[in-house]
Amino acid sequence: MTILILALFGLAILGMAAYGYKVSAKTAEDYMLAGRTIGVVVMFFFVLFAVSSSWTFYGYPGFLYLHGPSYIYFVWGSVAGFAALYMFLGPRLWAIARLNRFLSPVEVLAERYESPFLRVLLSLMLLVFIVPYVGIQPLGVGLGFKTLTGMPIIVGAAYTVVLLVILVILGGMRIVAWVNIFLGSVYASALLGSLIWAFNRLIPGGLKAAAQTLMVQNPEMLSAPGPLGYFTPVVIGGTMVVGLMAFSWPHIVIGVMTARDKVLFKWFPILIFIFGGVFFYTLPFIWGSLVAPVVMPGVTGKEAADSIVQTIITQKLPSWFSVYVLMGVIAAAVSTAAVQLLTSSIIIARDLIQGFFKPEAEDSKIVKWARWSVVGITIISLVVSLRYTKAMALYLTEVTIPGFAQWGPALVGGILWKRGTKQGAIVGTLAGLIYLVAGLLYKPLFFGMHPVMPTIIVNMILYIVVSLFTERPSEEIKAKFFDEVEEFLEAD
Amino acid sequence: MREILRHTPGKIFVGILFLSVVGMLFVTRYFTAKILVFGWMTLPLFAGLVMTLVWLVAYLIYFFKYWPYR
Repeated sequence: MTILILALFGLAILGMAAYGYKVSAKTAEDYMLAGRTIGVVVMFFFVLFAVSSSWTFYGYPGFLYLHGPSYIYFVWGSVAGFAALYMFLGPRLWAIARLNRFLSPVEVLAERYESPFLRVLLSLMLLVFIVPYVGIQPLGVGLGFKTLTGMPIIVGAAYTVVLLVILVILGGMRIVAWVNIFLGSVYASALLGSLIWAFNRLIPGGLKAAAQTLMVQNPEMLSAPGPLGYFTPVVIGGTMVVGLMAFSWPHIVIGVMTARDKVLFKWFPILIFIFGGVFFYTLPFIWGSLVAPVVMPGVTGKEAADSIVQTIITQKLPSWFSVYVLMGVIAAAVSTAAVQLLTSSIIIARDLIQGFFKPEAEDSKIVKWARWSVVGITIISLVVSLRYTKAMALYLTEVTIPGFAQWGPALVGGILWKRGTKQGAIVGTLAGLIYLVAGLLYKPLFFGMHPVMPTIIVNMILYIVVSLFTERPSEEIKAKFFDEVEEFLEAD
Repeated sequence: MREILRHTPGKIFVGILFLSVVGMLFVTRYFTAKILVFGWMTLPLFAGLVMTLVWLVAYLIYFFKYWPYR
């Protein structure tokens, strides 16, 4: 029965991908940016569930379970970071891309700074940090498969990879965005449903009863620094700053460029604040910080903590519900990995292949390269993830997020600061990247801080100082990236 | 952002958001207290909900009344 349900679920996703292929315009703009036609509701589901990977079901509640409630500061930082992207950077980035028919955010910056070298640097840097991330999602599903059905991890991973590759190759950005509505609904209902069920079945007194139980049995779970003494005020603050850097995640930045019109930027933050901040991310928080410690106390070790929610659901709730929750986890994994995969393939096809080797290539060729690179990226990401399984959980927080952050100063400065120069962008980005790699190899270089903090400070300072001491951008660039953009946005 | 910082309502808007983030960092020193708001909300959750509501109200007022591109 479990296999049948998961097969039908997979077929539903493939059916949507096939439909998307049928109705798509077969142009590069349609495949990569959904023809720039995404409205506010689709955009919301698209972005929220591109962000909400299987981490929201495993890593997030697992870390709360081990270290107490302060980890939610990462989410508060992320909510502010996403809102800032759409309120402060979004309208201008969207307008620049639309006016100049740019298809990738890396292309926007390469043109803004008039630097082919920066295009290669940013492309390779983002690919290095995003590609292993893609492979983690199928492996997460494989783990869920194994817990539920007893089948080897590779079965669940293979199931997810097939769904992912076909969805992205056939559907492109438009169908990935639409499918995210379906996947997001499955995931949100699984998360909410399991929480309500757990309270009804296991903690009839509700939230207050859970909190009061913890106050008696394990009060460290209700405050900082948490049971293991991890969350000092400095660490909590650093966790929030890491979350704030969410505005620089490339698979989220590219979403801005798919917007239908500027009205989206006026309405979108409402959904981020109410549905994302107040509602959605509070569900795994309650699971990890209140329900799990009450229902199943005493679990130690990161691996066991990461699967604490699934373990409780599998052991305490009806078996059919476990299948539905696994569908939710698959939905979360596919919705995130699909957007990451598509973003990577766009960078390869548009910025590396067309940008350097085939500048005159037709749309059909670019789309073809993007589709082929989907297969290549999937294989590489899976090989890397399987080869370094134990290091992958750390890779996300310690490597990927600091890595994404390194294009932040060039991105923000390029869109908002007329004085930002090519030399500033290159020196800042390279310095931040080299510092990050050196610090990962020799930890004392970070002075006890999260890798994001010292690297982004060095990157930002160098970007500003070098820009101020080098020749101003040309008048043509200022007109193209600032004056014309403002005129366009001011027009009705 | 450039358009927001060009006029007074925009500067006030950005100032409120900035202060709320500073406030979030400042209140972390009180998180050692085992206080439950409404009987179940731990302080890190409550602080973030307050910040989100501050951002929501400030955004609604600014983006629907003053944003130059509205």
